[in-house]
Amino acid sequence: MSHSSSAGRRRLPLLLAVATVQVVAFALAYVADQPTLYAAFMLLSAVALAYGARGGLAGAAAALLGTVLLIALAFPLLLFAARQDPALVLEKLGDPGVHRMLYLSIYAPLLAAVFALLTGVPLAYLLSKGFPGSELVQSLVDLPLVVPHSVAGIIILFGFGPRGAFPQLSILGTMVGAVLAMTFVSAPFAVNSTREAFESLDRRVEHAARIHGATSFETFRRISFPLAARGILTGGVLAWARAVSEFGAVAVVAYTIRFFYPPAGQTVRAAHAPVFIFQEYLTGSLESSGAVAFILLVVSIAIFLVIRSVAQDGGRVL
Amino acid sequence: MTRDDAIGTTEPNLAAHVDATFTADGADPFDVDAELSVSPGETLVILGPSGSGKTLLLESIAGFYPHDGHVTLGDRDITDAPPEDRTFGFVFQDYALFPHMTVRENVAFGQRYRDSSRDPADLLRDLRVADLAARSPPTLSGGERQRVALARALAVDPDAILLDEPLSALDVPTRESLREDLTDVLADVTAVYVTHNRTTARALGDRIAVMRDGRIVQTGTPDEIFDDPASAFVARFTGANVFELTDLPDDVAIPADAVLGDHDGLVAIRPEYVVFDPEEPVATGEIVRVVREDAGYRATIRVGDAAIDAHSRGPPRGETIGIGFHPGRLRPVER
Repeated sequence: MSHSSSAGRRRLPLLLAVATVQVVAFALAYVADQPTLYAAFMLLSAVALAYGARGGLAGAAAALLGTVLLIALAFPLLLFAARQDPALVLEKLGDPGVHRMLYLSIYAPLLAAVFALLTGVPLAYLLSKGFPGSELVQSLVDLPLVVPHSVAGIIILFGFGPRGAFPQLSILGTMVGAVLAMTFVSAPFAVNSTREAFESLDRRVEHAARIHGATSFETFRRISFPLAARGILTGGVLAWARAVSEFGAVAVVAYTIRFFYPPAGQTVRAAHAPVFIFQEYLTGSLESSGAVAFILLVVSIAIFLVIRSVAQDGGRVL
Repeated sequence: MTRDDAIGTTEPNLAAHVDATFTADGADPFDVDAELSVSPGETLVILGPSGSGKTLLLESIAGFYPHDGHVTLGDRDITDAPPEDRTFGFVFQDYALFPHMTVRENVAFGQRYRDSSRDPADLLRDLRVADLAARSPPTLSGGERQRVALARALAVDPDAILLDEPLSALDVPTRESLREDLTDVLADVTAVYVTHNRTTARALGDRIAVMRDGRIVQTGTPDEIFDDPASAFVARFTGANVFELTDLPDDVAIPADAVLGDHDGLVAIRPEYVVFDPEEPVATGEIVRVVREDAGYRATIRVGDAAIDAHSRGPPRGETIGIGFHPGRLRPVER
């Protein structure tokens, strides 16, 4: 927006100053081994900034309460990142077991996200248009959001296990099982984000395509899908991230997973990252599981940033 | 020309009867039951206030909503045809351009599906937007977008073109400029044009159908609609004065030729047929309001209990002035 850009330029030095003060304050508290002091500093500086920005007492109160939540979210993350032992992180980075785990934990969620999109995008399109019984279908889509994830794993074993719908399908400890479990918990994100993208489309633009000769499929292919692409991609990223973080359902269905590992050229066995880190925590130490978790976090954030920058390329998606 | 006259001609003739009940979230069901026919090359304007159902009628003809009724185009019954098989062009109020395509791609969109001899470049040039061909719709002004939308609708060489308030989102100079171009564009295409603007209706319509509450209440040429409204609603909506003869003071003698036919005393007359300050006034009244308009002034004169608008030279409010009526222009109207 043109009328906010000059204010935005003036705001940049202030942002840098605030960030610098926060980093210095955190470093001082960390070196003094008194992290609590930094939490207090965060609260005080938030109140001071809100009051200084002419937010008044109400603004200061809102900033105070908001910062309590921010402390709960960011403080553990800050300490987690700060307390990593670089030598231990490097050691884990060189561990072939960690490599297998990372490969599995990016690749399996990717399959789950692609599967959720392939099947979820058409469903989301139908849901956005509405049909008799669409509320019931929507409830079914949302169900995994409220089911405890270990329960989801049990449900999947009942549904697709030896006495399930496809008895010939082997899911216990297999890639298929892991992807099924991940899809179960992540599909709602893919479907709902996509449905919202379709719902936000201007119906008249689709009407314009139809009346000038495009069939409903051509309208979907050339108009609705490209215009909803950003929302679909967001749904895919959310589904992927949800699958990466899935513990319960995966632990039940495929505690360790047999899969083909290209760098080794053979089938290997590894655990999905959350399971791997939990195992590491139980059998190793907080420090070693923290180092693995740190690597996973950095990789996840890097992938997220790459996808986001690709999606924003030139303001057009795909 | 009626619908039957057109049978046997090569050009299409659109006839539609739309009968449907529409339900929107939180709103009462709304019935549309309207019948219309358009001769080859004719522009039929559907004129009505907001909420009268004219857009629903047009979109039902286009095939966006199912309805009981029938639609024929030329000798084809298209009642059950999907929108893409109806061979219409459509211009939307809010343009509805494809934002992810260039202007050129927008205009050429339908040619992938329909046989058309129209060259998109020619259309853009005729509509004076040739230099925008490589631009993206979100970067265009409202008037430019609507010219592109018009080119897109014409590019499929439609058998009839449907236009839904294409001018109403535009500012006045843009609207007037595009209205002039529309006069040329619509001269030889079969068109149904929806608007709530009586000036646009009069300028563009070969015939006008006035719509109210989902029904068409009067159809006629612009002169018939404007000079001889059938009802007080049509008279008021087209800008005429409507009042009871009994509202005039007892000493006002309406000329014998002023009122035609039997009626119960409700009459209509357009402001331009009210004579302002004549030598022999029929009535006198106080000027209670003066509104400055494009070409002069419109005064509201209180005569007895009736408020009568007339074009004036702009004397100030509060002055007492005489008025007269053009012979034969005071028309009885239904309530």
